[in-house]
Amino acid sequence: MKERVAITGIGAVSPCGMKKETVWANLKKGKSCIDKITRFDASLYSSNMAGHVHDMDHYTHLSSRLIKKIDLFSHMALIASEQALKDAVLETDNLDKNRVGVFMGNALGGWLFAETELRDLYIEGREGVSPYMATAWFPAAPQGQVTIYYGFKGYSKTLVVDKASSALALWYAAKTVAQDKNDFVLAGGMEAPITPYALLCANTCGNLSKNNLNYKKAYKPYDLYRDGFVLAEGSGMVLMEKEQTARKRGAHVYGFLAGIGFTSDGRHYARYDADCSNLAHAIEDCLRDAGWDKKDVDYICLDGEATVLGDYLETEAIKKVFGEKARDISLSAPKSMFGNLLGAQTAMDLIMTLLMVKEKTVLPTINYEVSDSLCDLDYTPNKAVEREINKALIIARGRGGMNIILAVEK
Amino acid sequence: MKDEILKVICETLDVRKEELRPNKSLYESIGVDSTEMVELVVSLKKAFAIEVESNEITKNSTCEDIVALIESKKN
Repeated sequence: MKERVAITGIGAVSPCGMKKETVWANLKKGKSCIDKITRFDASLYSSNMAGHVHDMDHYTHLSSRLIKKIDLFSHMALIASEQALKDAVLETDNLDKNRVGVFMGNALGGWLFAETELRDLYIEGREGVSPYMATAWFPAAPQGQVTIYYGFKGYSKTLVVDKASSALALWYAAKTVAQDKNDFVLAGGMEAPITPYALLCANTCGNLSKNNLNYKKAYKPYDLYRDGFVLAEGSGMVLMEKEQTARKRGAHVYGFLAGIGFTSDGRHYARYDADCSNLAHAIEDCLRDAGWDKKDVDYICLDGEATVLGDYLETEAIKKVFGEKARDISLSAPKSMFGNLLGAQTAMDLIMTLLMVKEKTVLPTINYEVSDSLCDLDYTPNKAVEREINKALIIARGRGGMNIILAVEK
Repeated sequence: MKDEILKVICETLDVRKEELRPNKSLYESIGVDSTEMVELVVSLKKAFAIEVESNEITKNSTCEDIVALIESKKN
């Protein structure tokens, strides 16, 4: 990239809070924010727990006229975008709106809205279906709603790469700023998988924990008795601009996006390749792209799928790239506290990492009780630790092995 | 009849009666979009058991136009 891209605003609509201060306070305590699903009767699903977003009505700034036209995932993205703009102290009225873009990642679309309408189609016929169905459901709907809401007309896109969707969205966004196609971008992701059909699909694809009775402790990456991850809903958005622009307007800079590494396993449509080389290549590519030395890395925010193969491959790839130095790097999967937001996960990981850089504290991987001899690195078990972070990596993996690594620096 | 029609418009579009300005089009007074118009036409058809084509009621219609159209269809 030609110029450093600064992140100057963050917005998080998450199961662990609706404000960055609350989110940080909850996560620092190592609190699990996973609950039983009560939005509908999920008792027959093999995994029926998730990280829920609470109090949307209390935090929303939207009119009921708009809310009824959009799905929950667009609603969350609009709230997170508003938070990010406010956090960056950016007055949208005075901007050249042709040079403000919106980049988002999403994996599933807006099923809470769509399912209701499909039921109406079945019962009432075609006139029973809301005319908003088409514009509420599709994965790019939140990007459209945010651009319409603020009148942003710059280069924008929505990317769908399974659990790594927002990783690619963040990178594309940063590239448009660095290449001078946009002055400002809102970038991140949103996901709302807690609906009867989306939950069924997520259950069918496997990899979800079935430890429903002990739901607060179900998501336990790197623990010997892990049995999969837990779903979550939410949205994370950040505001990006050139370093020069940020300094000029006196904005607080959380950090910079410094590089990306991207490889595909190319072996199976859903499963990872059993060799960690592809993930290791992605990490090496990212270090090269950022111009960093291996010894520079202080922290890695992990994918933490909590499956035997997922956790093992991640650990092996890190050892392969960093060798003995891997033991000096702090690693953690803060998502063990609130669940995996699928297409929005990397945006949330980026926000966590930026807060960790700011607070000089590494958030923990919770529910780590019994160590696994194959996963033997420092995953920051159960308790946050103080550590200054200058350079960090974020690992995002989509199904079938889409490996995206982002480099974040102070 | 007029009050009933205005009630359907307000409930369907989620606006207050005071926002619907007299002799101004729906677009001018409350900024409706095309999808809202589809929803409004379907609601009026259901509420008054009449047939309405989508080009008979548009963004440029005023509330008075809509009332006159529905009254003529009912008679």
